[in-house]
Amino acid sequence: MITAGIDIGSITAKAAVLNDGHILGTKVMFTGYNSRQAGKAVIDELAREINMNPEDLDAIVATGYGRNSVEFATKAITEITCHGVGAHFLNPDIRFIIDIGGQDSKVIRIDEAGRVVDFAMNDKCAAGTGRFLEVMARALEVDLDKFGDICLQGKAPAKISSICTVFAESEVISLISKGETRENIIAGIHESVASRVSALAKRVGVVEPVMMTGGVAMNIGAVRALEGKLETSIQVSEYAQVNGAIGAAILAGKEVG
Amino acid sequence: MEALEKIKAIAQDPYSYALNLKKTTDKPVVGNFCSYTPEELVFAAGGVPFRLFGTKDDISLADAHLQAYCCSLVRGGLEDALKGNLSFLDGTVFPHTCDSIQRLSDIWRLNTGFAFHIDVVLPVKLDTQSARIYMIDVLNSFKSDLESALKNRITEEKLRQAIKLYNRLRQTLGEIYEMRSKDPDSISATDLYHVIKASMITDRDEFLELLTLLRDELKKKIKDRTLNTHKRIILSGGICNHPDIYTALEESGAEVIWDDLCTGTRYFEGDIEESGDPIEAIADRYMTRVVCPAKHLTVTARGESLVRLVKDRNASGVIFMFLKFCDPHAFDYPYLKKFLDDAGIPNILLEVEEQLPSDAQLKTRFETFVDMID
Repeated sequence: MITAGIDIGSITAKAAVLNDGHILGTKVMFTGYNSRQAGKAVIDELAREINMNPEDLDAIVATGYGRNSVEFATKAITEITCHGVGAHFLNPDIRFIIDIGGQDSKVIRIDEAGRVVDFAMNDKCAAGTGRFLEVMARALEVDLDKFGDICLQGKAPAKISSICTVFAESEVISLISKGETRENIIAGIHESVASRVSALAKRVGVVEPVMMTGGVAMNIGAVRALEGKLETSIQVSEYAQVNGAIGAAILAGKEVG
Repeated sequence: MEALEKIKAIAQDPYSYALNLKKTTDKPVVGNFCSYTPEELVFAAGGVPFRLFGTKDDISLADAHLQAYCCSLVRGGLEDALKGNLSFLDGTVFPHTCDSIQRLSDIWRLNTGFAFHIDVVLPVKLDTQSARIYMIDVLNSFKSDLESALKNRITEEKLRQAIKLYNRLRQTLGEIYEMRSKDPDSISATDLYHVIKASMITDRDEFLELLTLLRDELKKKIKDRTLNTHKRIILSGGICNHPDIYTALEESGAEVIWDDLCTGTRYFEGDIEESGDPIEAIADRYMTRVVCPAKHLTVTARGESLVRLVKDRNASGVIFMFLKFCDPHAFDYPYLKKFLDDAGIPNILLEVEEQLPSDAQLKTRFETFVDMID
């Protein structure tokens, strides 16, 4: 049985195609303005790459904030449920997931079957999200892909005390003018994100082992900073960014039995 | 459902209702923010207790007086008062509950200019013998404050009538809650929200008639075995002034079938003994009723009561809904959550201000929550 998951996030659209528990392929594209088209585009592109016809998919589950705009999906399921299933598929031991995406961060506790037991989301604010890192990378004129590596070179992370993204940006600018090193500022920015997210995680109660998913999981600086705050090691799969889509593809299998 | 339509019209536009009441009767309208307002005394003095729910407008005037950490109920209430939206109020009563309401009382007194202003300085503990003596004293002074403010003597006879009326109102609200709990299709959560809201603002004689009519109409409609298969949820928190919550939950596959809210069961639970001294009887209701988090019973009373409620109501989860910056509720949250977690009851927290989170965020939480309790 061949199933697909499509995860429409605020910044990127992800797709995964599975054949009875084997990943056939995954794809990440920018969501852009039209989330309706993004769902179609990402699955068509992935199908082309793995040489299959999208018509041959037995079921499709859509997830992410744009899940209801994917009209051809068999069902829409929230990304929280999907991340639980995806993480469980990648490593059945996982009990806690930190998913930091473009516009929000979520912490999810799951049971031994990958079912969500508890979760929390951040509220109405970019602090502790991928967007926060993006804004800061721009202010520091650093390529976002290099942000994590530079972060690890910071010997003494600068203190960023503002929670608000806009105020934190002004704080960063004043640190630059005071002559603080770029590495230390970037390390401080990651500490700030980790503080926000770890507070959310502690509300729900961290249970080891912990996995990080979502786009920000690819940023090694964010992972290390969170490991420090939570005093635990965090697993990151090569599929971290498409974890929600993988979970959706697995759930699609259950839709057709 | 004629009675329901009338009730909804009042709840959807409380200020127009109050303005019209001022035009057509000479009854004083007495504003308040809290389910601890001893409404029986206000009614016995000829007044209409009128619950305030905050504003639907943007807040601009109130923030000149209040800090950003005050909840939207406190900020919104002051906003409407300063804008002149509450011109129908003859005066306001402030029972002492949380810090922000206590501070608001003084700011209100200094800046809003209503004809009278009464603080009801309740004890923090309500269930001790000394608290009872103190509470009776507080109620007696509230009575004489009201008498001079409204220039109307509260005779024992009037107070007894008021207690009777309130008992009937509360019992009938309870009956309608029971019907919804038994068969959620008998009355929607949104409609019940309107009923409870209207019960706090409408002229109480008129409302009891409407409510009795509604109950009788619902009795004909209710099914012995409900066909509703949605997940049964209890909503816990302070005030809920967001009917959209109920619709979003229904669309996600869940129904609020009971609540633990100031604008809900905390308003109507607990009868008042009709024999004996009426003031003592009113004090006794507050002593025995489950407390709000601004009051103290024992350190575990609220947690135990919430777990019991979930079991008694055959519910499968709890949604905590707090106004952002409501510190009494926020302080109690970790302990209440632990009680539910230990009892294996799924729960989530939703913090709201005058506006709800975006529909997408709300649906993501609710749908996941329903998945969780599958």
